[in-house]
Amino acid sequence: MKRGLHVLDPAETPDQEWGDRVAALQKAMAAQGVDVAFVYADVSRSDDLAYLTNLCLYWNEGVLAIPAEGPVTFLTKLSLRVQNWMKASSKVTEFSGGKNFADLVAKYLLGKKNGTLGLVDAALWPADVADEIVAAVPGWQVKRLDGLVREQRLIPSAAETELLRAAGRILDDAAAKATVAGSTAGSRVETVERALRGGGFLDLYPISLSTSDGVTSFGVTGQYRMNWVYSSRVLGAGDGWPGALKDALAAAIAAAKAGARIGSLAEAAAPALAKLPDGAKAEVRWVNQADLSTSGEFRAQDPAAVLAEGEAGAVSVEVAFADGGNAAVAETVRVTEGEPEHLTGAQR
Amino acid sequence: MTIDHAPAPAGAGLSPEDQAELQLRHRKIRDAMAEQGLDVVLAYGPAWRRENIRYFTDVTPAGSAALVVFPAEGDAVAFSTRPSDLAAFTAQGWVGEARRLDPANPAELGVVLKELAPRRIGIAHHELVPLVLMETIRAAAPGAEVGSATKLLDTARLVKSEWELARMRRSAVVCAAGWEAFVDVLEPGLPEYRIVAEVEARLKNLGAEDNFMLIASGRDEVRGMTPPGDRLLEAGDMVRTELTPKMDGYWLQICRSAVVGKADDGQRKSFDLFNEAVEAGISVVRPGITAHEVAVAENDVFRKYGYGEYCTSNYTRVRGHGHGLHLDETPIIEGNHTVLPENSVFIIHPNTYTPLAGYHVLGDPVRVTADGCEVLITTERKLFETGDVA
Repeated sequence: MKRGLHVLDPAETPDQEWGDRVAALQKAMAAQGVDVAFVYADVSRSDDLAYLTNLCLYWNEGVLAIPAEGPVTFLTKLSLRVQNWMKASSKVTEFSGGKNFADLVAKYLLGKKNGTLGLVDAALWPADVADEIVAAVPGWQVKRLDGLVREQRLIPSAAETELLRAAGRILDDAAAKATVAGSTAGSRVETVERALRGGGFLDLYPISLSTSDGVTSFGVTGQYRMNWVYSSRVLGAGDGWPGALKDALAAAIAAAKAGARIGSLAEAAAPALAKLPDGAKAEVRWVNQADLSTSGEFRAQDPAAVLAEGEAGAVSVEVAFADGGNAAVAETVRVTEGEPEHLTGAQR
Repeated sequence: MTIDHAPAPAGAGLSPEDQAELQLRHRKIRDAMAEQGLDVVLAYGPAWRRENIRYFTDVTPAGSAALVVFPAEGDAVAFSTRPSDLAAFTAQGWVGEARRLDPANPAELGVVLKELAPRRIGIAHHELVPLVLMETIRAAAPGAEVGSATKLLDTARLVKSEWELARMRRSAVVCAAGWEAFVDVLEPGLPEYRIVAEVEARLKNLGAEDNFMLIASGRDEVRGMTPPGDRLLEAGDMVRTELTPKMDGYWLQICRSAVVGKADDGQRKSFDLFNEAVEAGISVVRPGITAHEVAVAENDVFRKYGYGEYCTSNYTRVRGHGHGLHLDETPIIEGNHTVLPENSVFIIHPNTYTPLAGYHVLGDPVRVTADGCEVLITTERKLFETGDVA
């Protein structure tokens, strides 16, 4: 849950960049003939909203309305009492509050000439909310859009890249401290909570996995400002299958170059993964940092997709053993023409 | 109607206590399903609403979305977007089968629903199911009537069993420890987010699975609670928190405020007002009381002293709320006539802004007993000052 540091700092993200992000979306909307776009967010899936506005949706749901021109408006079920805080900590100046989104959208569109409204990432909208909105605005055409905002987020800006580097350093240090010999399940989580939230992370998700032969892997996905990093490590010495897993990750990371197919990461890892015990099912994944808040689970992995220079994401190798155990190793990197830049895992 | 491909029966390896709890839950849900004519209850859980998934599986999945298909007869099938959750579901033993949920291609869900061929489906958290899944559900059960079962599950979860109360008492112990950590760290110059980091660290070390926490620091300019910022504490600040750890799936909240240094007269008067409101709320609790009546008892104290306007939505949200597998269940607010039966659990917290000292936070979780209520936490209800022994 988002209960770490939330901050809006123009030294980190220039004012101009916030305007550019909305303008880029408005340009994409125009190309699709959309007059007003709506971005849905809830407490567990709010990165598009944050990217456009720096709003922190720490509870409940919200919809951001983006007109073809002009400022955005946040339609929210949250109490109007929190608007002062939201105004002070975001780029949003227009708010509208109420009990349901259908009424809020109808009110927002009142007085506007009928046209086309677009639901950004429509497949992931709650069906009820989408249906209610359609019913509430007769005369408007509703268009289901793909992830227009996500597409903008796939290659971080220079400012975002600097924040990712800072996030990676803090996470790397925390993960190293949390996984020292003798650490316990409780102490590992305690260490990363103190180090990451104390270091300025907004959100974090630690996870431990174990196998029947007593091997633990410990991972943390964390959000620093609005950007995500992920690292997962197998504890202990690298003999046996854990060593093969680490080798597989190293090979997959080395293959993550600009222009490479995502499928080539799995191909690079395959020789090492062949050393895993019989029946083990390994999955090599690339998850762009734009999708890390949901571990990429809302996006099908396309082996033919090509990595772009500057793209940042997590390379992971996840294994499900035949007896029900699980293990995962992962690090976050930035794609370049040559060796990828390690954002986490650089100190190992 | 059964799922004939279930590879293992649910509950076979459970302890007698877990087995009894599982059977109790299944009976409650199936009785309600029979009343409503439902063939299948489908519980959906995005990452921020996992209560019904936990209710059926005793597992809080790590995946970004999860789902349980619970037929009128036969075992439940659990789904998660994360492969490692599947082993966790079956290892816990409350469901016989677990399958992967791929939001981009939720065909496996369709297979299970097609085999069941339900005529009426109730979906818990229907209002949160994404379009892509809803379309799969409708395609897999053409002609089926699909409605909401959110209230069905909410009602089933309202009364807590002894099994559940034992878990909530563990959460209560952790609440007290979290508050001690909060007070221990307060000092001038400390940024708000560092307080949260220390509290989270303490709670997680004690085994808390999660924690929901809001905070605010300052004086009478504070109007509400938010995630922490980089504001530095100053001597004389009142630092408020709603602190809500989750142990074994169950959330419990403590609300307290502390002063950095010594409290001033306004802060003391504010505490006295809020303490009287909490006590007024506690005093009326008995089986059959409504959320409305508890809220009125609290608000009447504010009204008595001329602070009634601060009980409105301009300044506050609710006078408390239910607890359990979700942290914010039945709202304790005027106009909510939900009956609070014996063994329901909720927090009484008249948190609001007043000009006395700004937003004040104070409240205790209670269990409705046969003749009143049991306060579930042991932390003293007072205005803490740094240097106090909590």
